[in-house]
Amino acid sequence: MAEPILELEDVRLTLAGNAGAVEVLRGISLTVEPGQTVGLVGPSGSGKSSLLMLMGGMERATGGLVRAFGQDLGAMDEDGLARFRRGRMGVVFQSFHLIPTMTALENVAVPLEIAGARDAFARAAEELAAVGLSSRAGHYPAQLSGGEQQRVALARAAVPRPALILADEPTGNLDAANGDAVMDLLFGLRDRHGATLVMVTHAPELAARCDRVVRLADGRLA
Amino acid sequence: MMPLALRLAGRELRGGLRGFRVFLLCLSLGVMAIAAVGTLRGMIAAGLADQGAVLLGGDARLQFTYRFASEAERDWMAARALQVSEVVDFRSMIVVGEDRALTQVKAVDDLYPLVGALRLEPDLPLDQALAGRDGLPGAVLDPVLAARLGLAIGDSFRLGAQDFVLMARLIHEPDSLGGGFSLGPRSLVRRADLAASGLIGPGTLFDSEYRLTLPAGTDLDMLQAEAEAEFADSGLRWNDRRSANPGVDRFVARLSDFLVLVGLAGLAVGGVGIATAVRAWAEARRETLGILRVLGADGRLILAVMLAQVLAVSALGIAVGLLFGALLPMLAAPILSGLLPFPLQATLSLRALVEAGFYGVLTALIFSLWPLSGAARQRAAALFRGGAGARPGWTAASVVAGLALTLIGTATLLSGNRWLALGTAGGIAVALALLALAGMGLRRSARRLAHRPRGRLALRAALAALGAPRGEAVPALLALGLGLTVLAAMGQIDANLRRTIAADLPARAPAFYVLDIQPDQIDAFRKMLSDDPEVGKVEAAPMLRGVLSRINGRPAAEVAGDHWVVRGDRGLTTLAGAPADLASGKWWPADYSGPPQLAFSAKEGAEIGLKLGDRLSVNVLGREIEAELVAFRNVDFSSAGMGFIMTLNPGALAGAPQTHIATIHAPPDAEARLMRDLGRAFPNITLIAVRGAIARAAEALGAIATATATAAASVMVTGLVVLVGTAAAGEGARAREAAILKVLGATRGMILRSFALRAALLGTMAGAVALVAGSAAAWAVIVWVMEGEFMLAPLVALAIVGGGALASLLAGLAFALRPLRARPAQVLRATE
Repeated sequence: MAEPILELEDVRLTLAGNAGAVEVLRGISLTVEPGQTVGLVGPSGSGKSSLLMLMGGMERATGGLVRAFGQDLGAMDEDGLARFRRGRMGVVFQSFHLIPTMTALENVAVPLEIAGARDAFARAAEELAAVGLSSRAGHYPAQLSGGEQQRVALARAAVPRPALILADEPTGNLDAANGDAVMDLLFGLRDRHGATLVMVTHAPELAARCDRVVRLADGRLA
Repeated sequence: MMPLALRLAGRELRGGLRGFRVFLLCLSLGVMAIAAVGTLRGMIAAGLADQGAVLLGGDARLQFTYRFASEAERDWMAARALQVSEVVDFRSMIVVGEDRALTQVKAVDDLYPLVGALRLEPDLPLDQALAGRDGLPGAVLDPVLAARLGLAIGDSFRLGAQDFVLMARLIHEPDSLGGGFSLGPRSLVRRADLAASGLIGPGTLFDSEYRLTLPAGTDLDMLQAEAEAEFADSGLRWNDRRSANPGVDRFVARLSDFLVLVGLAGLAVGGVGIATAVRAWAEARRETLGILRVLGADGRLILAVMLAQVLAVSALGIAVGLLFGALLPMLAAPILSGLLPFPLQATLSLRALVEAGFYGVLTALIFSLWPLSGAARQRAAALFRGGAGARPGWTAASVVAGLALTLIGTATLLSGNRWLALGTAGGIAVALALLALAGMGLRRSARRLAHRPRGRLALRAALAALGAPRGEAVPALLALGLGLTVLAAMGQIDANLRRTIAADLPARAPAFYVLDIQPDQIDAFRKMLSDDPEVGKVEAAPMLRGVLSRINGRPAAEVAGDHWVVRGDRGLTTLAGAPADLASGKWWPADYSGPPQLAFSAKEGAEIGLKLGDRLSVNVLGREIEAELVAFRNVDFSSAGMGFIMTLNPGALAGAPQTHIATIHAPPDAEARLMRDLGRAFPNITLIAVRGAIARAAEALGAIATATATAAASVMVTGLVVLVGTAAAGEGARAREAAILKVLGATRGMILRSFALRAALLGTMAGAVALVAGSAAAWAVIVWVMEGEFMLAPLVALAIVGGGALASLLAGLAFALRPLRARPAQVLRATE
């Protein structure tokens, strides 16, 4: 049997706020197998996005163990985590988070450039075409609509052929039509590359498309 | 990694240079100031070098004091030079009726000037002017002198016992700079016409100069070495066209070194602006940096991307600064030529530009690396959670410290005065530290006090803003405060020097110095003054001038280096009985007639490293006198009274032709009468009115003060740029604050009062700290460097504190008007 792609054991996350410490996650234990699609659902403030960030090494657990691809993420420093993400993980955000001073093509090429790929731009062009935005390759994020920006973000997440795609409310800032189109693309990309997909969503119909739904409430698995 | 970093940086810079405006302005202003000083110095040096022969009056000059060249010396010169021109230079009094005025007389031969040309008015050839008319020899006078004595062309006057007729006014004297600073305006006569004047006699203090034009290709170094070897111990002084007036070279070098240090202070002020701008720029890039982190960029790559952008913008700022720093002095050359007493040659000084560029690069790195390192260590989570960037690590701290030490070390090495450079660096560091502490203190106090003033919204809001964790208090305080510190230091130094010259010195100084009193006149001179009820203290002493040539058998310059005592001739006196200012050693008996013994000024002796028992050789009138150093005296030159570096026993100079000098204390309203009476009784003596001399020194000081004030002003301009930049950066936050306060019912007047209060508090604090730091720096300079007494100048102090408050207030208000005008809905909608 293949090793789980993600293993969380009694993971806790406490954040310091202006009003004192806040326990965001209170002992989450979870395993994600390769190739699964997992939807993280729950009310606002339940810790879904924080759990996703922990899985991607973008946040550090204050207790417990987070293993990805068999490696303990807690044992790595920030640079180690960044290098670990290269080629293994793709991340899609609700607010797109494209680099405003780079064109669509350059935004998609960046993860490959960071990983040292020589054919970064050729592959980026292919991925941009796969999301239907070849004609917008030279445009800056400010010149793209919300849906187009999210498609560029999808292409950027998928271009390194990551084994794990993390998506935090990818349709949260989009209207229904664009949201549907983006989700179709996301699942299509996942199918094409055989990646594992973990997605935070409020939308029940999106959660229904996943192999597995994990519910959170008040920082715990419900 | 570098190619990727450069590619990513290039894409970022496509977004334009918005956010770098203050950075660019601060860096280019600082670099421009240093480059301009260096360029001007290069232009002066080039001018002096190019005009060296003209300024000197020849390719080389041999100079003697108290005597003319001997036959052997004349033969030596004639054998090597194409032409030799003899000039005699001395101080004397011009007499017109009952009026007298001090003049510096230049008595020339028929070959004068060997190089360069005089300009006279009317435009006569010099030989025609000096030929005179109506049986009287001619003279040419400085227009100031002629005006002071009311002399018109054709009028006669007396020098010593000889009458002359004024034939022309001297408009331009090509070799005036080669002679150095003089107290009296110039008069020019023929050497031969002085024979009957009685002015050039044994013991008269005069310099004889022999200007040589040399064959092309003459090796000046070899010729100098030959002359000094051939006529060692003769009292010969050598100058050549490569450095017509070493005193001027030294003055220009010192002033330039000082101005460069002021420029570095300006760069430090600019550095505060650079740090603030970079921090704000990195903050605005938080999203991009977070994305790069998520996509796998490590800290090194992120730092490289940001550093590449900062360096690219720095290169632009430095280039602009160098361009203007090189161009402005050259464009201003026609105006500066009229204002400066030195010749200027428009030329680029590569060394000055490289130095300024180097300082610019280091400053940009020192003040950028710290905020950039923090931003590079930002965690990916900061992308979603916001909050402050990480603190820079020890590596960043070490690199910044290393760069700062490199900057200080380079400035120290390149400066002509290393202690001044180190002192300046230390002063800037201390001032920055004090200001940072004051800023933190202000923030903490404001936070604590913010909840107190109930019912006074404006004050409470002002205190709350000043106490905000990442507010503008510290950067604004640093920038404005450092600029004000430089101004405060300059202002206090200038005020103290002027007080000394205008008030202290005249109170202590005598009314007259009297020179050239012959030995057979001294008794009558003393009696005349003792019978005069208006005359106070009179001091007189025999005087000769001599050159300290050897110390314990070694050339004096080898032992004493570049100490002023061994540069040129010094006044010597003789004294029989022990003086009241004896510091150490044993004075010779009043009737001592043994081998020569000498007493030296204690302070200068310590500086040179002399000790009792040393053997010193002094060259007087071409004769070497070796004496044993038996005592030290506490000579106080600051009293403007009589003070001699060296005192010999009377027997050592027996037979040497000497004159007496004297100082006379008298009230100002007796001066004119005394000058007339003494001039009538003793026509050969020279009277120097000390108050007039002090006034001339004050004028020269005023010119230097203008130069340093200009440099300080450039520092202030940089400080204002940073202040304005900080105020502009806070405009958005002020707009939001104003919008919310308006929603809650505050009037625009209340809000404006709050903005004004915080700006005024900040500026007053900056001014107060600047006053303390600047006054401390001024105290150190006045007490340790100039050995004077320091007194705080209250008006200057008030101006600094008030100026700081006003500058901050104006900058704050200028960027408060738009936030006040905006409608609340407009502002609040934009922030959602």
